[in-house]
Amino acid sequence: MSNLLVLLILLPAAAAVVCYFVRSEAVRKAAVLATGGILTLAALGLLAQGTVAPTEVGSFLGIGSDFLVAVLDFALLGVIYFYGYRHKSLLIQGFTLAQVVLLIWFELVMVEHESVPALAGDQLSLIMVLVVSVVGSLICVFAIPYMKKHEAHLHLKKTRQPRFFFYMVLFLGAMNGLVLSNNILWMYFFFEVTTFCSFMLIGHDATEIATRNAVRALWMNALGGLAFVIGMMLVYSQAGTLNIAALLALGPTGAVMLTGLAFLCLAGFTKAAQIPFQSWLLGAMVAPTPVSALLHSSTMVKAGVFVVLRFAPIFAGTFLSTGVAVCGAFTFLACSALGVGQSNGKKILAYSTVANLGLIICCAGINTPLALTAALLLILFHAISKSLLFLCVGTIEQAIGSRDIEDMRGLYGTNPRTALITIVGILTMMLPPFGVLLGKWMAIEASADSNIFIVVMLALGSALMVVYLARWAGSMMGSREPDAKAESQPLLTRLPLMTLSLGSVVLSLASPWIYNSLLAPWVGSEPFAVGFGSLESAHGTFVVVPLFLVLGLGLMYAVKAASGYRRVKIMPPYMSGANSVSASDAYVGPMNGDVPFSSGNLYLGELFAESKLTPVFNALAVALIVLMMGGAL
Amino acid sequence: MFGSFIKKSRAKSPWIMHFDCGSCNGCDIEVLACLTPLYDVERFGIVHVGNPKHADVLLVTGTVNHRNKKVLKNLYDQMPEPKAVIAIGSCGNSGGIFREAYNVVGGVDKVIPVDVYVPGCPAKPEAIIDGVVAGLAKFAQKVEEAK
Amino acid sequence: MQTLILVIIGLVGAPLLGGLIAGLDRRVTAWLQSRQGPPIMQPFYDVAKLFGKEKMVVNQWQILCAWVYLVAAAVAVALFFAQGDLLLIFFVQAIGGVFLVMGALSAKSPYSQVGAQRELLQMLAYEPVLILVFVGFYMVTGSFSIQAVWAQEIPLLAKMPLLYLALCYALTIKLMKSPFDFATSHHGHQELVKGVLTEYSGPYLGLIEVAHWYETILVLGLCALFWHTNVAWMALLIVVTYLLEILVDNTMARMTWRWMLKRVWLIGMGLGVVNLIWLYAR
Repeated sequence: MSNLLVLLILLPAAAAVVCYFVRSEAVRKAAVLATGGILTLAALGLLAQGTVAPTEVGSFLGIGSDFLVAVLDFALLGVIYFYGYRHKSLLIQGFTLAQVVLLIWFELVMVEHESVPALAGDQLSLIMVLVVSVVGSLICVFAIPYMKKHEAHLHLKKTRQPRFFFYMVLFLGAMNGLVLSNNILWMYFFFEVTTFCSFMLIGHDATEIATRNAVRALWMNALGGLAFVIGMMLVYSQAGTLNIAALLALGPTGAVMLTGLAFLCLAGFTKAAQIPFQSWLLGAMVAPTPVSALLHSSTMVKAGVFVVLRFAPIFAGTFLSTGVAVCGAFTFLACSALGVGQSNGKKILAYSTVANLGLIICCAGINTPLALTAALLLILFHAISKSLLFLCVGTIEQAIGSRDIEDMRGLYGTNPRTALITIVGILTMMLPPFGVLLGKWMAIEASADSNIFIVVMLALGSALMVVYLARWAGSMMGSREPDAKAESQPLLTRLPLMTLSLGSVVLSLASPWIYNSLLAPWVGSEPFAVGFGSLESAHGTFVVVPLFLVLGLGLMYAVKAASGYRRVKIMPPYMSGANSVSASDAYVGPMNGDVPFSSGNLYLGELFAESKLTPVFNALAVALIVLMMGGAL
Repeated sequence: MFGSFIKKSRAKSPWIMHFDCGSCNGCDIEVLACLTPLYDVERFGIVHVGNPKHADVLLVTGTVNHRNKKVLKNLYDQMPEPKAVIAIGSCGNSGGIFREAYNVVGGVDKVIPVDVYVPGCPAKPEAIIDGVVAGLAKFAQKVEEAK
Repeated sequence: MQTLILVIIGLVGAPLLGGLIAGLDRRVTAWLQSRQGPPIMQPFYDVAKLFGKEKMVVNQWQILCAWVYLVAAAVAVALFFAQGDLLLIFFVQAIGGVFLVMGALSAKSPYSQVGAQRELLQMLAYEPVLILVFVGFYMVTGSFSIQAVWAQEIPLLAKMPLLYLALCYALTIKLMKSPFDFATSHHGHQELVKGVLTEYSGPYLGLIEVAHWYETILVLGLCALFWHTNVAWMALLIVVTYLLEILVDNTMARMTWRWMLKRVWLIGMGLGVVNLIWLYAR
């Protein structure tokens, strides 16, 4: 049993080493594909077997695994310190040194090294493993053709792909380790590995801006690491155990414990790029698109959310819980607002990611069974839809050479397949009956119990999010010439895109059963009864399957009606009668010349300007976090 | 049953678009006067729309010149069938006193088929309403013949 | 079984009633302007005529979006009559709005593009208000389900009067009435020659018109829930509300989106929040 867990962690690490040292493209491709396949199977196998009680890992080559992790921990901190030194970042150096000092104190003085079962898998972990292994693997597969094209575009003399895939695949292993660990020290170690991998991946292209953004990501996450260490020490000093399962059983015992948990939440906030730490995730989009997809959807940021969710049951009902909820809701609102002002596709996705993570954290803070269910659903469905969208933007960027949504106008005319998949992805992000909206629905219903400010922030945020997603999807629709040539996609590009878009739809349909078999046992008390394929609770009913059937039939009819459009008269748009004869988007102007019209989205610059809003939001967010931490004391 | 209701409805809901080809504004003002409470053409279900794609009847005032004949043709083409055209005022009918001018093509019927001619300089609102009603009768006949 | 009958009544009755209300609306408006106005059946003639017109589109997305708009509006009304979850009804209704906007954006037409952007801003204005109203329902009845409303003994209006006013803002926007009719309006000769609807024509415009009737009934149905205890009072409430809407429509100028966002967010949401705080405190 524990073998499967170890496999999930060590196989990616081994594959990463193969990718790095065997400098052959074929071998690399095979290694990535095989790892993806085995990870997917292992994750599904784990799912089939059900939860795993905390288990010991034993020793490697006669060295205790706890000791090994401790050694690796210090080695990793050393490496991070080295990069901080090399990039002359005092922040990184300071935060890392502080971590080292505290960790030495913790390991040598405080901790009595009892044996703690290192790995465990409850439903939360299983869902996370599923997301990481399946979605993450698909992203790695997508990266194979993408990176080839990417490097051809950059005209590199020597390929840097071994290094790239080393970190990509290693990342998956680290994430699996993080979500499966039952020893808080192990969790900390994997937390640091993800920090380091993301730093290397963001800086992968080694341009000046990439390096600068990578350094920023590193110092912010090093701060998170420091918060993690402090939190860990405070929690240990009160609870006296490193065993997370035991901690969960213990519940909140006092102010010190709560403060420790607050620090752990802060660590989660930095990793999940909550305001005011959002800048590192926005900076991360300079990296090749598979990295953004990996960081934003399934791994890095979900690690942060996971940390908060993991400890959420301990602080249920405390002021800290409300604080976390308010911080999360604020991030949701702020990032939704910031997203309205953006035209860069990746940046829109980044803001929407941070906003959705805020929503998940808000749910963790509300901390009722309904809210926790919402959080889990959001994690699952957001990972699928968002990774799909990132991969789509990457594909579009390679096709049209831009990631600006204004340049994607009428994309259906030239790249119908990619455009359609992107539109499906966007719709699954914001409309019923899809999973993300199911989560949002639960979140709003759960928030009605908690706090009026949270309700207002969620209401505003969800309206803002519809604005920037709807106009993006709409502007990609467009006319297609009857004789336009078909779009070609490499198999390894199409496979992940199709799998993810199908997954986002089919899994949404299956959400009542996902809820029954996976979510309900973890949440404990049952917030929903499942009947007729719908989720019923005292709050309200989401009729998943009937809605799917009705809307699906309606959509099918609409598609059928629309597919007969060749029999309908096609007429150019109304332009006051002065349509140009030669071009469909131009007026006849003076001297019978063409005067093209251009239209852009309303970005509401005066209300939602990023440069104006960001400082205000950052200040407010810092205030809220201080309030949250102070409230814990 | 539904088919006959649709047929009946055609005459009851003529949506009108007004295009000023090059009028002195005399006829235009009379067209707009039809909308005022005094004449209230909405009684007959007539709605003044701004877009050929929503229109059933095209009211044209003024002479057609070489510059705007393309626009007139284009607007006419963008109206979905069934549709009717009503030329209003002396200029719209024949070019009026401008018919010999070097830049004038002539009446509306030089460019698009006209169903009803409403005379006058300017045409009276009563005459315009009468023209629309006559146009609807023709248009019902046209639909009938097309079958 | 009873639910099924109700749903069928809703699906068939809503467009009929909605069309009738639209006809009455035009009569009352004409009366306010000292005109006679069209027959009450006029909206039905209009739609029937539209269905009889030639099919003409810029591209296939308009066909798709018009149909989805209709389906979503009908499903939302069906859910309402099945006494489903208010928040879910709201989200289903939003599908229609989003598709209407996307269809308008798909055409390279300056008017429909600008109209679509403005329509999005209108959605941005009324969506949070509606969510607050639904949260108000939850706070009073303890459930988001419409069924729970019937268990209440006194009319909801007594407990959430300010939320009702906030709902009226949303109603004005949804009914495309002045001062919030800048995305499209019933009067075609505005600066956008009908904004978001510019490129929809013939039968597809007819579909949208029918969907709009469904939406009218949905929003008025929400208003009706505020006085569920007595049918007479419920009718009176709706009539007064609708007459007020017509009066506002006829006395107000068309405003800009800036004005709208400020008003609706500050006053509409402000009213909502005050009412919610009052409900919490109680």
